[in-house]
Amino acid sequence: MAARFSDVEVGQSIPELQKEATTQTLVKFAGATGDFYQIHYDREFAQAAGLPDVILHGFLKKAFLAEAVSNWAGGPQRLRKLVAQYRGVDLPSRPGTQQLFTVRGTVTKKWEQDGERLVELQLEGVDTEGKVTTPGSAVVALAS
Amino acid sequence: MTAQVETGSSPQAPEPEEESLAARLQRFVGRPSRPPVSAADPVNQPMVRHWCEAIGDGNPVYTDPQAAGASRHRGLVAPPTMLQVWNMPGLRPVPPLPGEDQLGELIGILDQAGYTAIVATNCEQEYARYLRPGDLLSATSMIEAISEEKRTALGSGYFINLHETYTDQRGEVVGTMMLRVLKFRPNERAESSPPAAPPRRPRPVVNDDNRFFWEGVGRGELLIQRCTGCARLRHPPRPMCPHCRSLEWDTRRSGGRGTVYSYVIPHHPPVPPFTYPHVVGLIELVEGTRLVSNVIDIDPAEVRIGMPVEVCFITVDDELVLPQFRPTVGNRER
Repeated sequence: MAARFSDVEVGQSIPELQKEATTQTLVKFAGATGDFYQIHYDREFAQAAGLPDVILHGFLKKAFLAEAVSNWAGGPQRLRKLVAQYRGVDLPSRPGTQQLFTVRGTVTKKWEQDGERLVELQLEGVDTEGKVTTPGSAVVALAS
Repeated sequence: MTAQVETGSSPQAPEPEEESLAARLQRFVGRPSRPPVSAADPVNQPMVRHWCEAIGDGNPVYTDPQAAGASRHRGLVAPPTMLQVWNMPGLRPVPPLPGEDQLGELIGILDQAGYTAIVATNCEQEYARYLRPGDLLSATSMIEAISEEKRTALGSGYFINLHETYTDQRGEVVGTMMLRVLKFRPNERAESSPPAAPPRRPRPVVNDDNRFFWEGVGRGELLIQRCTGCARLRHPPRPMCPHCRSLEWDTRRSGGRGTVYSYVIPHHPPVPPFTYPHVVGLIELVEGTRLVSNVIDIDPAEVRIGMPVEVCFITVDDELVLPQFRPTVGNRER
C-alpha cells in the first residue's frame, strides 16, 4: 500500500524492515557496486584493520534504509535525499550467529514545495543487540 | 585533464621536512580528489538487477518493465541509492597522470604516517531525478574538508569529506553525494592476550599536592586544605593560596555535611563500569568549599539543588575508597 500524503502524520512510524546480510550478501554487493575494499569480504584483512570480522558496506546499510522508506511510500514515490551515519560497524550473519539489521523510521515533517508533497523521516538502522549503528534521515516525495 | 591546484604550485614539489602532517593534509582541501570520470557503462538493467538481488530489494519499478511502466515513473528506473555505483572504477584501475590523483596522494601520506585503515562514516545523497536505463553519468569529486586528528573507537585518525557531483549526458546534475571517511590508525587487537579484566572505576591521579586528601579518604576523613598564611580554605588542592599566595598550608577535617550546589545526570555515552542513571553532584560543604562527587542512596529524579547531604565513604574495590554523598538523615551526628 502506498502512503498517501494526506494521511501521513508527523510522529507516525513506518513499518520496520528487517534485513539479514551474510558473507554471501557482501560478496554479491561488492560485485554489484564495484566496491572491492577487502574489509567487506576478507576476514584477516578486516581484523588487521582492527575490526572484529568483515563488516557490512556502509552503502549496503544505506540501501536498506532507502528500501524501508520505499516500501512504506509505495511505488509512486521519489526519494529526494538520504542521509546515513555509519556510527557503528555491523557484522554479517555467520552459521550459529544470526545478525539482523532492522530499519525503523518516524515521520518528522511534511510540507509542500514546488508542487511536490514532501515528507521527512528520521531513520535508524539497529543491530541484533538493539544498538543504533546507522542513524539517518530521508526526504521523499509522495504521489498524493 | 589537468588537476586544478589552488596554489598553482606543483603538488609534486618536495615538501619541507619540518612541515607538520596536519599542514600537509590541509593543502589538499579544495582540490579535486581525482579527474572527472565518465561511467564505463550507461545505467543498465543487468547492473540494476544484480544490485537488487544483492540487497534483496524486490521493488518492481527497478526490474519489471511492465510494473514500472504502470508506475509514476512510466518506465524502469534505477534505485536512487545506486547513484555512486555508475562511476565506480571497480577493478579497472586507470593509471592517473602525475598530480591528478590527489585523493590517492592524500591517502598515501596518511598510510605512511601509520593511518593505514579507512572506513566511511557519513553519507548524504541528494537525487535530482531518478536515473533510467541509457543515462550516461560523469562524476566530479572534490576534497571538501579534512579534520584535525580525532580519537575514535576504531583508533585515532582524520575525517576527510569528499563531495561528488553527478551529471548526465546533457550535463545536467542528477545527484550529489557528501561522503565522509575516517582514515585511521587501527587500535591494537588484544586477541592473544588474556581476556581483559572488567573495567574498573577510574583511579584518582594522586600527586604531592592532593595526597593528603586521598590518604584522608582512605581513613574515612574528608580533609580540606587550609592556608596557614590567611587561614582560608581551598579545594581542589593546589600548592599556592589564591588569596595570599602563601605556599604554606595544613588541613582541616570537614564535618562532612553540605548541600547540593548543582548536579547533572549523565545518560550518554555510557561509560563502564558506571551504572545509569547516576548523579554527579557539586557539593558545597558547610565549611564553604565545593567538591565534585556523587549523590547516592536516592532516586536521581528526587535530587534537588540545595538539598542537605552528608558524606559517606564507599569501598569501590581493594584499592579504592571514594567519598560520596547521601541525603542527610534526621539530625544524626557524624
